[in-house]
Amino acid sequence: MPLESEEGDGYIELKFGPRWKYIAVVRAFIQNFLVIGFPDDARADKIAMAASELLENAVKYATGEETRIKVGLSAKSGDVDISVSNKASPEAIAGLKSMWDTVMAGDPLGAYVQMMREAATRSDGKSQLGLVRIRYETGGAMKLKIEGNLVTIALKCAKDPSVSA
Amino acid sequence: MNCLGIEQIKQGKVTIDVGDIASGVAVSIVGEIDMQDPSVVLDPLFSRIHKGVMDAGLKTVDFDLRQLTFLNSSGIKAIAKWIMSLAIAPADKKYVIKIIQNKAISWQTTSLPTLTFLVPGAVQIA
Repeated sequence: MPLESEEGDGYIELKFGPRWKYIAVVRAFIQNFLVIGFPDDARADKIAMAASELLENAVKYATGEETRIKVGLSAKSGDVDISVSNKASPEAIAGLKSMWDTVMAGDPLGAYVQMMREAATRSDGKSQLGLVRIRYETGGAMKLKIEGNLVTIALKCAKDPSVSA
Repeated sequence: MNCLGIEQIKQGKVTIDVGDIASGVAVSIVGEIDMQDPSVVLDPLFSRIHKGVMDAGLKTVDFDLRQLTFLNSSGIKAIAKWIMSLAIAPADKKYVIKIIQNKAISWQTTSLPTLTFLVPGAVQIA
């Protein structure tokens, strides 16, 4: 996902072998990065949560070592773009495509509550709540891009939520 | 020791305590729930609390999350599972989970109220 490069904009890009033990560190790093860019701690909290959920998915479902996370913020608009890319198996990609339709269906709160009810009955150890939680709690615009075995999930959080929702 | 006989749990970055209050029990969680599978810790605990509260005829669980600084979606699933168990509880055994939130922690103000929609009347937010 291209990031704006206007003067005053900021971005970070990390590439790492997806390990659970690094997620909390990356979450804190992203939160600190965002707080430097704008003094809205609440929005930084939500975006850091989203990053953490996306990274948890990458650790659970990625194949290979090349998980990338990019976070960019526009000084002009105050918008934040975040994306996580990782390689995945055909089975994992098929499962993601199927779940994506459920996540994006209907109003965000209704979809979240319905998926929480379904999660409560799961016995496979999965919650499958991360994406629907991101959609509801950030109010951002989410996109799924699949190129071969490369999966990218992008989130745009506008400074004014009514713009990106 | 509380009336349910549940001892303090320390696991990774989280500490969970259960105590007695006049109308039931208080459950407090301090720290971060960001482990890969928190259900290993939370499911047996919530199941034990659920059974103990119903057996004792208690009517309230104060669920104090004011010092819970992070909760991942797997942790939310575990809490949702506990709440959903109230949907099938016998009418005379039902109790209320009163979630005590910290409004200074922004994710709590968006995450926790959603739990009230799972089972009507089962959860209150303070």
